[in-house]
Amino acid sequence: MFRVTMKEDLNEQDYYLEVESPHVSRHWRPGQFVIIMTHERGERVPISVATINGGRVGMFIKKLGKTSVELYRDFKVGSSLYAVAGPLGRPLKLESYGTVVLASDAVCGHAEQLGLAQELAKLGNKVISIQTFKTEKEVYPEKYLAKKYVDEYFITTLDGTAGYKGHYIDLLRELLARREVKAVFAGGALANLKKLAEATAGLDVRVYALVRTIMVDGTGMCGSCRVRYNGVIAYACRDGPWFDARLVDWDDVLRRDARFKKVEKIALDKYLAR
Amino acid sequence: MVKKRFTPKVLPVSERLRSFGEVVLGYDYETSVREASRCLRCPLWFAPCSKACPLRVKVPAFLEYIVKGDLEAAARKVYEDNLFPSITGRVCPQEWFCEGNCVVSKIGESVSVGLLERYVGDYARENGLDEKILAEMVSKNSGVKGRVAVVGSGPAGLSAAGWLRLRGYEVVVYEALHRPGGVLAYGIPEFRLPRSVLDHEIKKVENLGVEIRLNHVVGKTVLLSELLSEYDAVFIGSGAGTPKLLNIPGVDLNNIYTANEFLTRVNLMRAHLFPEWDTPISVGKTTLIIGGGNTAMDAARVALRLGSKPVVVYRRDREDMLKTTRRDEVLHAEEEGVEFKYYLQPIEFLGDENGFVKAVRFEVMEPLNELDERGKKKIVGTGRYVEIPADTVVIAIGLEPNRLLMEESGLRFNEDGTIAVDDHLMMSLPGVFAGGDAIRGESTVVEAMADGKRAAEEIDLYVRRKKGLA
Repeated sequence: MFRVTMKEDLNEQDYYLEVESPHVSRHWRPGQFVIIMTHERGERVPISVATINGGRVGMFIKKLGKTSVELYRDFKVGSSLYAVAGPLGRPLKLESYGTVVLASDAVCGHAEQLGLAQELAKLGNKVISIQTFKTEKEVYPEKYLAKKYVDEYFITTLDGTAGYKGHYIDLLRELLARREVKAVFAGGALANLKKLAEATAGLDVRVYALVRTIMVDGTGMCGSCRVRYNGVIAYACRDGPWFDARLVDWDDVLRRDARFKKVEKIALDKYLAR
Repeated sequence: MVKKRFTPKVLPVSERLRSFGEVVLGYDYETSVREASRCLRCPLWFAPCSKACPLRVKVPAFLEYIVKGDLEAAARKVYEDNLFPSITGRVCPQEWFCEGNCVVSKIGESVSVGLLERYVGDYARENGLDEKILAEMVSKNSGVKGRVAVVGSGPAGLSAAGWLRLRGYEVVVYEALHRPGGVLAYGIPEFRLPRSVLDHEIKKVENLGVEIRLNHVVGKTVLLSELLSEYDAVFIGSGAGTPKLLNIPGVDLNNIYTANEFLTRVNLMRAHLFPEWDTPISVGKTTLIIGGGNTAMDAARVALRLGSKPVVVYRRDREDMLKTTRRDEVLHAEEEGVEFKYYLQPIEFLGDENGFVKAVRFEVMEPLNELDERGKKKIVGTGRYVEIPADTVVIAIGLEPNRLLMEESGLRFNEDGTIAVDDHLMMSLPGVFAGGDAIRGESTVVEAMADGKRAAEEIDLYVRRKKGLA
């Protein structure tokens, strides 16, 4: 069960991992995620889904903490994960908006773009995709970019070595000024999603953000992932993970995201030192 | 007759503080026989203990076998009504059920039915008798009567699955987590219910031929409508899995946990063994536990074992707390050194510059000369406030049913989020039955098990009628 069928580098820190999980693929909708465990002693970690190929779930993962590094180093094609649960999260109710923009600057976001782009195109939207990377070196291989599914495609790099120089927020500002964009779907670094919410405040455009918070069960049981949303408490796993970006209390999200920073480092250091 | 009950072996307090080992070690054979001998052997048609038991365990009958020294017969008698004596014997609040109604309590201390049930359950388990008894019970069926899907592998689901199997059904249990057991696995700490015991009880159900599909979230991975088309009936034992939070300022601060998160990180994910196990928990010097229920006791005693100083803060007094909280847990918490503060209602959480909680502000409450519907004193604020420093807070003020299932249409829910069922435990959707906390709100393990057992009976009747067999 949960056999790894493919593993490929996306760049130096991100990788693609495909795992047999037919139970997940049957009802998965773009925007939904999975929770994985490497082994019995592992942590339950929410992971972004990029593709569904038959019964195989393709994920984008960043080598960041102990689980993601261990998964990259110790799991090969043919190894099995201990658990894959899902699909989790509420599927986005997508509509025919007109012109929409997909934007992201990290694995969670880049992954979701692939599914959302195809679904939004099916609904007759004109889809523009912006994917931000630090430098040209970090740009994903072509087959993992949203490019082939969208009407217009932009890469931006922070240092200008490829595509537009700057962050997706900078390019989005320009697009919003001169184009009639009806909706924006953005994922990636939480701090940048906060900036996006600020940059689009008061504008007549819907902005949805992928709010990926620290989870345990992923089914609304523990409250670890709670988010202050429109003044009340919402659970990212059950009510999200997509929320109206301008109704999210981003300071709350960013503060809660740092809860386990110290201990997370202990786990990674111990793994690397073994 | 002996008026005082025999005390069980208990782990010394000094050995409990840094250990998750079981606290109550139970009776040995001699003590069991002596304790069982205290029973007055009320006839079963009268026995108030048995009548007060949600599972209707024939208490005087199984105690009589203990007195005779025939533990296999005692186990058989228990298994007629209760498939999980090693669990209920450990976690039942017996003072509200069997023991609370024991006739002996009129003249002395009630018979320790819970510890005796546990003794019989453990004896059966340790000697392979449970598997033998169950195998005999299941072999009485001829052929398969139908197929039933069970949602959730907690006490209600496990019980429903077991009893349905014994009635001749094929059963598949769908569990959202990577480990079966539901609240028994994520909620109840190991020092009350050891993992080895729980694992065995689950294995026992699997060995009966019940299949448990882990990592399956019903409503997401598989839809209720699909279960309905694939099975003759569905039982929902999804529990009261969503924590209530206080709607007061600062509740979002870091190191403020819901009891569910706090307990799940430790009980299910074993954060106390971090970093050998990967899931972390962050606990400071002082942990304030808000609430006075069983979950609050569990959280306080877990905090203690994580090396923090636990302070339970309850808005009423000890007497009222004991009306809804298992006596043993309160006593154990007290003797372990958990501090209790009464008549305090939280008003605000105060944080430091990094967004971590540093203190909680409470209003001092006082009782009115009036009781509420649960027989507890009504309370009112005094306008006086106190601030208690704490670097960790656990909110244990209760749970409500998980709304995940609501996303699928066709189901009727009560205003409080519980699933509405008729007198036969059937929901507004024909063929879908429910029990346990999903229909009761927060309740007890034994009532959930009783619902599972009764649902098995109702489902059996329903399926046979549907197939024209009854």
